[in-house]
Amino acid sequence: MADIQETIQDLGRQGSSIADEIQQTVRDKKPLTIRRIVTNEYLLHVLSMTAFLLVWHQAAVSGLFAGALATPWQVVERFQGLMTDTLAGLTIWGHIWASTQRIFIGFVLASALAIPLGLFMALNPYVDAIVKPVFDIFKPMPPIAWISISILWFGIGEPSKIFIIVIGTFVPCLLNSYNGMRLIEPELYDVVKVLGGGRWNEIIQVSFPASFPAIFAGLQISLSMAWTCVLAAELVASRSGLGFIIVQGMKISDTSLVIGGMIIIAIVAWLSSLLIAGLEKYLCPWKRDIAGL
Amino acid sequence: MTPKIECRNITKFFIQKGKQRVHVLEDISLEVRDKEFLVILGPGQSGKSTLLRIIAGLETPNEGSIKLDGQQIAGPGPDRGLVFQSYMLFGWKTVMGNVELGPMLNGVDKSERRRIAQRYIDLVGLNGFEKHYPHQLSGGMKQRVGIARAYANNPKVMLLDEPFGQLDAQTRYFMEKETVRIWESEKRTVLFVTNNIDEAIYLGDRIVTLKGKLPGRMHEVYDVELPRPREHTDMKFLQLRQQITDASELVL
Repeated sequence: MADIQETIQDLGRQGSSIADEIQQTVRDKKPLTIRRIVTNEYLLHVLSMTAFLLVWHQAAVSGLFAGALATPWQVVERFQGLMTDTLAGLTIWGHIWASTQRIFIGFVLASALAIPLGLFMALNPYVDAIVKPVFDIFKPMPPIAWISISILWFGIGEPSKIFIIVIGTFVPCLLNSYNGMRLIEPELYDVVKVLGGGRWNEIIQVSFPASFPAIFAGLQISLSMAWTCVLAAELVASRSGLGFIIVQGMKISDTSLVIGGMIIIAIVAWLSSLLIAGLEKYLCPWKRDIAGL
Repeated sequence: MTPKIECRNITKFFIQKGKQRVHVLEDISLEVRDKEFLVILGPGQSGKSTLLRIIAGLETPNEGSIKLDGQQIAGPGPDRGLVFQSYMLFGWKTVMGNVELGPMLNGVDKSERRRIAQRYIDLVGLNGFEKHYPHQLSGGMKQRVGIARAYANNPKVMLLDEPFGQLDAQTRYFMEKETVRIWESEKRTVLFVTNNIDEAIYLGDRIVTLKGKLPGRMHEVYDVELPRPREHTDMKFLQLRQQITDASELVL
């Protein structure tokens, strides 16, 4: 009885905190056994990469693909050369920049149009009813199907490539911002209403922040879509870019150029998705901590 | 003395899928006195949450009226604070951001609203957690934020909708004690909805029971004349518990 009274007294003190979590940094002190070394994650990474390169090398040397497979080392050498030598007037950096620039312009244009439109559709049922049927016609159309018409409209220069990227990234951008906002728990709006906020506050305080993660998921999908599109456009007609390198390699039967081009696309696409992830972390600090839980 | 809240003959039905009519509340009339802790006790599906949402102004009744301080209520407003069953914290805001939301929406300047929010964060025992995000908190702590958020807007009436329904038994008991402590340190008119008979007797000055199954109807009103702090094992506590259980279908 007495200690219950005391607890209540204790709780009665204003300013008392229930912060009782103590965190300590400790070292994992498991003994170093052979089993632990062999099953070490990083060691396994290195082993699998080495095995992959060896198999690749062997396959190339044995002439399994009718000589149309360069060894890893040949690829590296070829691209080391391209860092200073030029291909169609550009070094490898020039080609990377050409593709990245197209992606960047198309991506920014598409997201600047699609995200607000998606949010607007989710907020306003009339806008939704008007835009949706037209959007639904274009939605299932693969963006690459637009290449011919875009060349007819815009020629083989930059605008046609950017157009393809815009078409390809527009759909996932719009769908994600639209769904992201529609899936918001309606009671969250009640919070704002009860606290005395109006419709505008509901949009600013709930709609935007709550749909941010979905918008970023859309941007990630858009980005990989953008790389597919830029590549397709460059394969069809181009004088620069990573797609051009691959086509060039094919035309002159230089497999190290083709394979190297593929690898560089993978690396650049990966780096650009890291950039989006970094931007998301910066803009959504509340998500930063979830990953660490 | 005029009642703080006065509900007259409230009837509510929802239209489902365009044609099905669901009758939720039937002829509810109740008065809540100033600074009173009134508990609405009813089983699941008795329309008690709907009643609270009507008083909060989030739903409009099909018949009847609600007055706050003699004024007809029309829509939600900062004079009534609502604590949600599923917390409804903003995951993108810190504890501080969540608690200062009400004053912020009502145009209180930054330093002042920080001061108000800090006061209520301290009151609910969360100091040291101001910069945490909701997902970093336990269920009980989340609801503390919910309570602080409602309090920080300085409402005349606090409406709590099964606030501890998602908590485990120990935390729930602890939070009930905390609710009494917070209420006693800053007395306000409280309307507390629950389906838990012990919670009702532990907290309420008065208990209004609703009949089970839709539509919800008024059943009985009990005065709880037990001194605080109350004990679950107190003889009078148990007698009242028995009395309420006998009178209702609520078997708990």
